[in-house]
Amino acid sequence: MKVNVDKTLVASIALHVLVLGWGLVTFSSRAFVAPEESLPVDIISSDQLAKMMAGQKTGKKEEPKPKVEKIAEAKPEEDAVGKVTEKKELIKTNSTPEPPPKPVEKPVEKKPEPPKPVAEAKPKEEPKPQEKKPDPAKEDPIAELQKKLETKKSPPKPVEQKVAAVQPQQQPKPKERSFDPAQIQRDLDKRAATRHELTGSALNASAALGSATGTAANNVATWRGAFQGAVKRCFTPTYNGQDADQYEADIDIPMKIDGSLASEPVVVAVRGPSRSIAQAVAESAKRAIVQCQVYSFMPKQQYESWKLIPMTFGLKDML
Amino acid sequence: MNDVRSMNRRRFMTLTGSTLAMLGGGQAFAQQPQGRLRIDPTEFRPIPIAISNFVPGSPADGDVGNGVTQVITNNLKRSGLFAPIDQAAFIERISNIDVAPQFENWKTLNAQALVTGRMTRQPDGRLKAEFRLWDVVTGQQLAGQQYFTSPEYWRRIAHIISDQIYEKLTGEKGYFDSRVVFVDESGPKERRVKRLAMMDQDGANVRYLTRGSDLVLTPRFSPNSQEITYMEFGQGDPKVYLFNIETGQREIVGNFPGMTFAPRFSPDGQRVIMSLQQGGNSNLFVMDLRSRSTTRLTDTPAIDTSPSYSPDGTRICFESDRGGRSQIYVMGAGGGAAQRISFSKDDTNASYSTPVWSPRGDYIAFTRQGGGQFSIGVMKPDGSGERLLTSGFHNEGPTFSPNGRVLMFFRDPGGNGGPSLYSVDISGRNELKVPTPGFASDPAWSPLLSSTAGQ
Repeated sequence: MKVNVDKTLVASIALHVLVLGWGLVTFSSRAFVAPEESLPVDIISSDQLAKMMAGQKTGKKEEPKPKVEKIAEAKPEEDAVGKVTEKKELIKTNSTPEPPPKPVEKPVEKKPEPPKPVAEAKPKEEPKPQEKKPDPAKEDPIAELQKKLETKKSPPKPVEQKVAAVQPQQQPKPKERSFDPAQIQRDLDKRAATRHELTGSALNASAALGSATGTAANNVATWRGAFQGAVKRCFTPTYNGQDADQYEADIDIPMKIDGSLASEPVVVAVRGPSRSIAQAVAESAKRAIVQCQVYSFMPKQQYESWKLIPMTFGLKDML
Repeated sequence: MNDVRSMNRRRFMTLTGSTLAMLGGGQAFAQQPQGRLRIDPTEFRPIPIAISNFVPGSPADGDVGNGVTQVITNNLKRSGLFAPIDQAAFIERISNIDVAPQFENWKTLNAQALVTGRMTRQPDGRLKAEFRLWDVVTGQQLAGQQYFTSPEYWRRIAHIISDQIYEKLTGEKGYFDSRVVFVDESGPKERRVKRLAMMDQDGANVRYLTRGSDLVLTPRFSPNSQEITYMEFGQGDPKVYLFNIETGQREIVGNFPGMTFAPRFSPDGQRVIMSLQQGGNSNLFVMDLRSRSTTRLTDTPAIDTSPSYSPDGTRICFESDRGGRSQIYVMGAGGGAAQRISFSKDDTNASYSTPVWSPRGDYIAFTRQGGGQFSIGVMKPDGSGERLLTSGFHNEGPTFSPNGRVLMFFRDPGGNGGPSLYSVDISGRNELKVPTPGFASDPAWSPLLSSTAGQ
């Protein structure tokens, strides 16, 4: 046994030495230097990397869900509640055709609105539901649907929609299970609105490790570069004296979340041998900042980091 | 055993690998300096500016209004620092300069500044010129002035307004209200008539100061009076003269036995520094114009010439062939040891001549001859930072604009042609031909007229 082990070990060592020795001889130092073109590289901190991946190092592996930083807009939720529930329940049970009571209550309160749809909707809604009945009707209610349509219970339905939105806590839900063709029609028409968006329906409070492909757009380094580039386009200083690199203007830029200026840029300090030239540099910078807005590319979810952008304008490379 | 060892080896390799990766990758996450975002312009771009036609105060003032607008536009454009926007693109027509313009109309043209103005003939015959400079972006008025002048000086008013705009937007003094004296050349090449001439810096208002019977060279402006010093070949030796532009009077500077040449005023205008030929050599002398006393500054067996004072008057740069070829030296204004500052950076063994100290003090301009080419360039007073601005068959005789930003020189294309005047920014950008009536050489830029006693 031991002999065998030694043999393999010896063979391994010999092979390694051989390969490494061969490598040392064959690869000259020059061969390793591949002619590479330089690439622009943004140097980012580990903090920024974590942000990019939307995760935290302290996170647990068991919770792979990235931290959501933004809650999706509330609009779809409102609609979704009513529609989704109706949809599911529709499929399951279609009974208790007793919607009339509610319409009676609501129309009293909100007369101005419902009447119009009632009057106009009748003729319009009739043809559509008939066409689209087949889809939901697969289960069973085709016949019932037709019957109800013929009996024209459509008038109350527009009202119902409002009921669902305004008073969902009451008993309407069980009653809404009742089969409403107009409701089906609405569901079919606005299917997109009922889809749950994957991004941020709720905040995930527990820290996660984050995903490998993160929201790179959140990276601070990205907007900094973009902002610099955008302002630079309008910055037209003229001084090119030998002492040009001594001129600098520090300017604070208050920003609004839409990427426009919240107020005029504030000249914090100007430096340079000649006051008039330094002032001209500052004025030129101010003009550039104002002229090149709106900076709509700024990531809104990171507004806190660019609410006030402190900048220095210099003439380092002026010639 | 085998398994354990291989495991260990594998683990060792993994560890080593990951360590190396960490080391290599660590650099990518080096701390980014937090704090102020910094912007430095990498390329030069002129300032977009809209210059609206000067409104005539009365119907008869339309021509002068348009004239002033054109002169200002031309000045700013030629400076290379401004990009006047074509009037055809204007959305708004300025008819009353006393109300603020609609800045949105000018923002859409990407103008950063807007000039409005009005020319009005006064009952007493004088001309009133008003102008306003607006910051289009912030909507502020940057400058507003009015001037009164006799109508024939409308061009000067336009130059003064141009200087105001230039100064407000760049922070540097302007140079438009200035003149250039030069040698006007006419006639066939073998019998050239050379006359001393003077014009506005934009080529307008040419005046001839001499009749052309005698050869004139190297005219130079006094920094603070209406005087010119130059060299003239008259009867006998060439002599340095002093010429009063206003009175037309001229006199010989000093009473030297030999040829005097390459004169130049001191920054205070009280002295003239020049070369005096002594045998095969020449040395630098300075003469006090009041006391007429002369002082020798150099005493070498070489040709020392083309002296030029630093703007503070404490130092002199000049050219000398004491080292074999003509090179540029700097020494104290009182003479003494001189330090060579020009060194050919390549193997052309170039020579350097006609040094001129910038009125700003930061550069010395020169003519460089080497490799079969004549170049105009600038270097710092310590000889570093040499930069050639233009090269060709023959370029010579640089002279600085009053603000030290622009150089004018003359270029001779060779052949049967003659020399012409050119201007170039000290960055080397914006080379332009300066309009002259005929051939022209040896330009010398005056100081800003408004800073002198003139008019």
